[in-house]
Amino acid sequence: MSSFSADTHKSNTIWVKVSEELPSLQECHDFCADPSCGAISSFVGVTRDSFQSKKVLKLWYEAYTPMAEKELRKLCAEAMSKYDLKRVVAVHKVGNCPVGQASVVLVCSSPHRNDGLKGCSYLINELKARVPIWKREVYEGDSDAVWKENIEWKEGKSKRVMVKE
Amino acid sequence: TTVKVLFFASAREAAGNISSVEIELSYESNTTTLRNVLAEKYPKLAELVLDEDNITFALNEEYIPSGESLPLKNGDTIALIPPISGG
Repeated sequence: MSSFSADTHKSNTIWVKVSEELPSLQECHDFCADPSCGAISSFVGVTRDSFQSKKVLKLWYEAYTPMAEKELRKLCAEAMSKYDLKRVVAVHKVGNCPVGQASVVLVCSSPHRNDGLKGCSYLINELKARVPIWKREVYEGDSDAVWKENIEWKEGKSKRVMVKE
Repeated sequence: TTVKVLFFASAREAAGNISSVEIELSYESNTTTLRNVLAEKYPKLAELVLDEDNITFALNEEYIPSGESLPLKNGDTIALIPPISGG
């Protein structure tokens, strides 16, 4: 059972953060590292320079921060119950995120590599379907910014159930 | 019954760039009532907020499943969640 420290973003096995300042990949890695783990798996989402052959000029993220962090904690706990993971980090940037910059960092440590790799895959797929964060892009030649929509949101409609305590 | 409503992304823009507002509802209101109240108060938001496929509600940081309408009590926070795009 994990207990939460005074820093509400972190327990001793799960660390989530939605913020303008992201921890570095190394910091996330160091949180997850454990002598029992032979694998530290990660996924880093990075702003791409184009969308459907249109050049991306500007990209930024907005979040419903307390709920986004809550959902991320739930996702991490789920990943840990589905796969043999020791520790998990899930962090997402808000604000400006220029081309080449990391928007999301997910790290899992596990004794064996399969669980970690699957854990990261699970986290990014579920994040796209459930975590209340929005991306706004401005393309070259367009005057207005566009709010993006993840296809996983619509597809994940049936998964948005209320947990009755 | 006073509830706090939070607007995000395209919903915020449609409401005239308002990010949060306190709304007084009649006793025994529910989330469907609130959709109607918001549609009236913010006409440019009406088309979005009246369609559950456009805007999902979150009540006190928990998603309201589609098709469900929940009662609202004093102090509740409702967030207007347009289709998300994180990751």
